[in-house]
Amino acid sequence: MSSRHAPGAGGPAPRGPLVARSGVAPETSRLYLGGRGCGTMGPPSRETWAQRLGAFRASPSAFMAGPEGEDLGRDLLIELRSEKLSEQTKVSLLALSLEYPAQLWPDAAAAEAAATSLLDTLVLLPPRPSALRRPLLLAATTVLAAGDALGPTSGASRRLLPLLLGLASGRDLGRGFGPASEQRPLQATACECLRELESCKPGLLGDCLGLLRRLLGQEGPVQPLSLLLALALRNALVIRAKAKAGLQGLLVAGDAPTPGGPWNWALAEEGGAHPQPQAPSWPAAEDEECGLAVLEPSPEEARELRAAVAQLLDSSYLLTPVAQAQLLWLLGWALRGLRGQPPVLFKPQLVRLLGTAQLALLHAVLALKAAFGEALFTAQDEALLLRRLTLAAQHPALPLPAHLFYLHCLLSFPENCPLGPAGEEAAPLLLGPRLGRSLLPSLLHDPMALLARLHLLCLLCAEDEEEEKGQGWSPQRYLGELLAGLRQRADLDGGPRALAALCFQASYLVVRCLATQPLVLTPLTHGLAELYRARPALAPHFVDLLDRVGPELGEPLRAVLRQEVVSRAGRDEALRWHLKILAKVADGNAPSATLGFLRAAAAHCTDWGLQQALLRVCRTLMRAGVREGLADLLQALARQLDDPDGRDHARLYYILLAHLAGPKLGVALGPSLAAPALTSSLVAENQGFAAVLMVQEAPAPIRLSVGPRRAAGPGPVLQLQVEVLEPVFSLELRFRVQGQLYAPLDAVHVPCLRPGRPCSPLLLPLQPRLPAPTQLSVRALYATPAGLTCHAHLPPVPVNFEDLFLPFPQAPDDGDKQGFFEELWDSCLPKGAESRLWCPLGPQGLEALVSRHLEPFVVVAQPPTSYHVAIRLPPDSRLLLRLEAAQAGGVPVALRTDHWAVLPLAGDYLRGLSATG
Amino acid sequence: PFLKALLFELRLLDDNKDFVESRDSCSHINKTSVYGLVIGGGELWPVVAFLKNNMIYACVPLVEQTLSPHPPLISISGISQSFELLFGIQDFLFLGQKNDTELNTKLNQLPDLFLQACPFGTLLDANLQNSLDSINFASVPHPQKQPAWRVGTYKGKPQVSISITEKVKSMQYDKQDIADTWQVVGAVTCKCDLEGNMPNVTISLSLPTNGSPLQDILVHPCVTSLDSAILTSSSIDTMDDSAFSGPYKFPFTPPLESFNLCYYTSQVPVPPILGFYQMKEEEIQVKITVNLKLHESVKNNFEFCEAHIPFYNRGPITHVECKVSFGQLEVFREKSLLVWIIGQKFPKSMEISLSGTVTFGAKSQEKQPFDEICIGGTAYLKLHFRILDYTLTGCYADQHSVQVFASGKPKISTHRKLISSDYYIWNSKAPAPVTYGSLL
Repeated sequence: MSSRHAPGAGGPAPRGPLVARSGVAPETSRLYLGGRGCGTMGPPSRETWAQRLGAFRASPSAFMAGPEGEDLGRDLLIELRSEKLSEQTKVSLLALSLEYPAQLWPDAAAAEAAATSLLDTLVLLPPRPSALRRPLLLAATTVLAAGDALGPTSGASRRLLPLLLGLASGRDLGRGFGPASEQRPLQATACECLRELESCKPGLLGDCLGLLRRLLGQEGPVQPLSLLLALALRNALVIRAKAKAGLQGLLVAGDAPTPGGPWNWALAEEGGAHPQPQAPSWPAAEDEECGLAVLEPSPEEARELRAAVAQLLDSSYLLTPVAQAQLLWLLGWALRGLRGQPPVLFKPQLVRLLGTAQLALLHAVLALKAAFGEALFTAQDEALLLRRLTLAAQHPALPLPAHLFYLHCLLSFPENCPLGPAGEEAAPLLLGPRLGRSLLPSLLHDPMALLARLHLLCLLCAEDEEEEKGQGWSPQRYLGELLAGLRQRADLDGGPRALAALCFQASYLVVRCLATQPLVLTPLTHGLAELYRARPALAPHFVDLLDRVGPELGEPLRAVLRQEVVSRAGRDEALRWHLKILAKVADGNAPSATLGFLRAAAAHCTDWGLQQALLRVCRTLMRAGVREGLADLLQALARQLDDPDGRDHARLYYILLAHLAGPKLGVALGPSLAAPALTSSLVAENQGFAAVLMVQEAPAPIRLSVGPRRAAGPGPVLQLQVEVLEPVFSLELRFRVQGQLYAPLDAVHVPCLRPGRPCSPLLLPLQPRLPAPTQLSVRALYATPAGLTCHAHLPPVPVNFEDLFLPFPQAPDDGDKQGFFEELWDSCLPKGAESRLWCPLGPQGLEALVSRHLEPFVVVAQPPTSYHVAIRLPPDSRLLLRLEAAQAGGVPVALRTDHWAVLPLAGDYLRGLSATG
Repeated sequence: PFLKALLFELRLLDDNKDFVESRDSCSHINKTSVYGLVIGGGELWPVVAFLKNNMIYACVPLVEQTLSPHPPLISISGISQSFELLFGIQDFLFLGQKNDTELNTKLNQLPDLFLQACPFGTLLDANLQNSLDSINFASVPHPQKQPAWRVGTYKGKPQVSISITEKVKSMQYDKQDIADTWQVVGAVTCKCDLEGNMPNVTISLSLPTNGSPLQDILVHPCVTSLDSAILTSSSIDTMDDSAFSGPYKFPFTPPLESFNLCYYTSQVPVPPILGFYQMKEEEIQVKITVNLKLHESVKNNFEFCEAHIPFYNRGPITHVECKVSFGQLEVFREKSLLVWIIGQKFPKSMEISLSGTVTFGAKSQEKQPFDEICIGGTAYLKLHFRILDYTLTGCYADQHSVQVFASGKPKISTHRKLISSDYYIWNSKAPAPVTYGSLL
């Protein structure tokens, strides 16, 4: 939904005001329903309503989801016409519909129906004074706007808009609209309703600008008309600018829509086509941003526009301060960047506005300042504005929240010529040292005021450093004394936590602004160390501070705190704080002192918490790379501590320290992702570094494939090719043969593999117990670059029958090869088996087939027709083939083996050859 | 959840004991009364909230900009509107409020008032009393062209009442290197009962020849125009040496109710009462000496005058042995407080003194008054006094200088008074908190 919703969408406005006695829920009884109920039968009585509304207010969404929810909106509308309820009760019911329209009538159709019903109720009111007319108008408006039902097709909208406009222009609406005395307040209400609708559908009143101007010039109520006109004017300008169209006489448009005539939705639809203009960001003097620069009014239009703005401004004095402020914001937005509209129009108002103490008015002046910059404020004006702001930021007659807001305005002041980066808090240039000094913080200020003023002081100090050293007065010295005072307060035994927090917030602020000034940081460091000495219970604050400040303060502070702690005797009452600090600040520097402290402290670590704190320090030391002495301490702790958890922990640390190399230890003890300790810190901590120390299951970044066969050597060897997708270290491949066909295989180790860099093939010697094919299941263990150890299952590697083939080494080189073969052939029987089969040949013929698959094993060859092949099959079998008298389609093969189980394998192999050929 | 988050932010929940990072972290710095509340995993921002008179005032303004990242507060018009609304509620609830019943009545009126004062969430008038009146006045025919902040009309005898209230603050140290400071803060309150839609009134404030110039003048929005000399006279840096010394003219159209026409500050040459306070700790007892001197130029006719001498961070008073040269001394043992009642007049010498010893019992954690500043020897005495028909600056509103452009000759009455406020005299034998002004 593109439109904004009531209530509360009607402009820059506070919503949902809430007053609560401290500690008491804000649900004061909103609905006061007097009088007695009207019996048990019939429509809900007042009491029933009170109960029902009470339940609804307690939790609107729950109530609407419940059984009664559906009917509430309908019943409410019916009750409004009931004659039994008092007006006061009906006003309460209407207030409810103003507050929760979206809950009561959640969709556009329901909203439309509800608005129609409300309008009917309004028309049916008897023509005497009634408190209901105003809330009825407000409710109808709210329901339409919130239900997103406002539009040209909505009947209720077509009724409501002319009615509102008629009321707003003070036209006589005839009977039913109450006595004359009510006309004036209703006129104002109608304007407010129109304003709400205009802010939901910008451009809605684009046609009525002329009319509104005339009304404002005559006797209309000034405030509602002014605000309505300003909003409609702003929206019309923005829409026209976005559409790159001129004003087209909008400002002087003659008559408003005639009663009963059609409403002109053109501009609103144009507005709907472009997203609702949001408030411009700040400071945004760039003209492009609000897009008004493209609007180039003709001289005549410009004159009319000026006249309209001047008219609004001239009577702005008659508005309440908050309404004046809204008007100025609206006009500032409207005219910003518009050519031919000199902002001097605002000038006559400024002196009056600057004299007041009203927060909204000064804020509006600042908005104008941001919108127009130098065009409206000369350097002198800027200086005056700053003086007034400075004055208001400390004026004894103003309340603290106002002071704080003015201080914020000073730090974010929209300067004519800003020096620093936009969006960062800075002291305005023209806020000279004199003005700045009047806003110095002191211990007597409220914490928030103190911090705001301290920020300003820091900014002054930062500037002061750039200039030559001041004469006499030094902001740095003042700052130092202030911080010392804050520390003294934080030091107060039993003082509230807020005082300590304030001290550390101030220190943090100072470090952030003045990180480069040793003149400030050195005393701060020592002061904080002293504070720690005096009140170790502030350790959590110190740890928090160290976590957040940069090395400028962090490093020296660590050093002094470490010194502060280790120079103590180990049996302080504040031992747990010392250990907490030490766990934060211990490092590789002067480990012997730290270890000495820990050794002494160990004897006093009598409970679990202290022991854990002690071990945390050990852990910090381990991370820092301290080894010498630490191992002894851990060993001692593993024996000495009372608590088994502590002992286990110490032992674990000792083992880690003894077995892991530095970098791995660092990773292992790195920040733990585990949740904080539950029962045993060992368990919790394990979750942290178990991840590091334990092997993790992972999808493998490794691809393994079998390379070309190598038929040589004493046994079969598988050549494996390894590729990786990411760097892998210390890869270990483990193979397992399914069944017990082969002897167990040794693991293969590769130190390092990187993607895209092929490594030499891995040789995997196989030791079959039977000459049979199999599959090797493969697991990989490796280390990742992050130091984690991972474990992965790889797809199994097949070992084929032919992978086991080996030639007979003792085949004679010369002479009697035939005889050698025949000898082998004969030796197979009778123990073995014999077979004959038909080996189909592909188009290449027998010669190609042999050379491709059987070459190493050929003993006697008579190409291209006859080959005698002898294959050794580990462990101790043989396979002999005679391929003779090849024909076109195949070759008859006679085969013998001394192991009968080989025959079917050999048969499958031979028959498959042509297919793979 | 909203209330809980708010109470947590405002440090009003009980669990204040332990360090809670989201509240106590050093980087959680809040410099304005605008908060981001963590509610149900999300952040509600901006929540304008403050604590006053044991009430929490809170409000969530509409922000028309993109919310992420948070736009600076200064760019959100709803922030100042929220403050105005909350200040308005506060004034409505507490101005002229007498008891709790009345407060509850007013609290119950609030929902109807919001319907009147911000019907669609847009604030029309922060003065809720006006909204209440306009509900009641609804049947009165409204005149034409009338300021929106002037609801209805006055019928009756015309009269204008002007009262000037000056409060004097002081910090006195009695030390070589630290200067004493004092300041006068004035407020001019008017009630103009005049007929007509827009009566015009001009009030002039005058100073006697040796009067101290008024500075830091803030005026009510109904003031129509201001002399630039009024706008620039400031206590921070006087633009030129010849300070503007009046008369200070304020032309305005008065609202119907009583209102503060203007506030000012002033730097008078001497504090009305100059004093010193010496306190020395000697184990369980302290030795105190106080000396007060009324300046001769000050009207020696008080409505009342008292010096309160509190002892913080100590046990209850067990024994007091003190001598006063004038007036009488009251001891509040449990409160660890001495009150020296000086009365209506200082003696002829204009100088009075107190000296003696105070002995304390053992300190029990809870009961005795705690103070974060008065640690060790750091201690103060605080003066409370009031002088009627007198201003320290000499500022007065001359009846003849009041111009009223309305039908009928009004009766004009003027009142003046001086009251003390934050009038501290610090123990000169120990460190004391100083503001920047004391270092010059």
